Amino acid sequence: MNSSKPGVINTISLLLLIFTFELFAKSSIKEFHLSLEQHVFSPAELTIPADEKVKLIIHNLDNEAEEFDSFDLNREKVIFPRKSAVIYVGPLPPGRYEYFGEYNPTSAKGVIVVEVQNAR
Amino acid sequence: MPGRFVLVLLIAVQALCCTSAVADGIVVDKVYHPYVLPNEREIEWRLMSGQTEERNVLGQRIAYGHALSETLMVEAYIVGEKEQDGDFGLQGYELELRWMLTEQGEKWADYGALFEIEKQHREDAWEATAGLLFEKEFGKTSLTMNAFAIYEWGENIADEWESEFRLQYRYRWIPQLQPALELYSGEEFFGLGPAFLGIQRFSGQKQLKWEAGFITELSHPGKNHTLRIALEFEF
Repeated sequence: MNSSKPGVINTISLLLLIFTFELFAKSSIKEFHLSLEQHVFSPAELTIPADEKVKLIIHNLDNEAEEFDSFDLNREKVIFPRKSAVIYVGPLPPGRYEYFGEYNPTSAKGVIVVEVQNAR
Repeated sequence: MPGRFVLVLLIAVQALCCTSAVADGIVVDKVYHPYVLPNEREIEWRLMSGQTEERNVLGQRIAYGHALSETLMVEAYIVGEKEQDGDFGLQGYELELRWMLTEQGEKWADYGALFEIEKQHREDAWEATAGLLFEKEFGKTSLTMNAFAIYEWGENIADEWESEFRLQYRYRWIPQLQPALELYSGEEFFGLGPAFLGIQRFSGQKQLKWEAGFITELSHPGKNHTLRIALEFEF
């Protein structure tokens, strides 16, 4: 055993402390919905508020799985058939953020529009 | 929010100051991200080529990974290593379990855990690792940190605790090219250097990820460079 043990235990303890704090931290997050039917996301453009974290709930109405993928949003998520998946997005600056479905990239695609005001 | 950022910085400093042990392996390897995708299967190859004034070391790992659930991924490795005057040969086997603890973006940062067990080939030398994986987005950049506690035991190895800390600060420029700065600390090694990461998507869930880094040791005078390359095919 050597001097490294207390060091790493302190590091892991600090990370665990933050993680525990995070588990119990509650905040109200606005919800937005997208649906996937016939391998098409609807609405094709969804507007969300800028500088705010939002909860994106995607309902897969198809009988096949799809994988939501967006480099712009830095998110990847499998949506099982006839199930819903939750993706947390933001806080983001205003702009247009593209996404697509990995299994049907030509039809399953859309844009998240981030605006400062008048978010729906 | 700034308070948590300061705490993260403190953790990084704490880990950098306190990770040390007697050197008996390659510290530069890979910075793990705390994410798992269901249905994910992957084949991975890693190369670590280290060069000092006294010796050259070449390490390679080949692995197959499979997601067990929406949050758990298991990966089995075959590890090969070559010292300067030796032949390249099988060095050990490793089993790794990665656990996604929080949904990406749900909390202030994303968290995961990693557990590994490794056995040296034809030797009674074992290594068990437990670690925490952390990632936080700052706009178009991502800060990833790994902190590992390692215990080694067996007839052919000294029983000892080790610790390692890894950090990657990545700019998500375009999918194929994401420049990063990487830092590795552990086993009396403290190294820093540039890295490049990328991803190319193909049809369906198929995608190829690559990583390359060139890490220079800063903790001791003299030459000590490590080139690391990793290729990961997901399908």
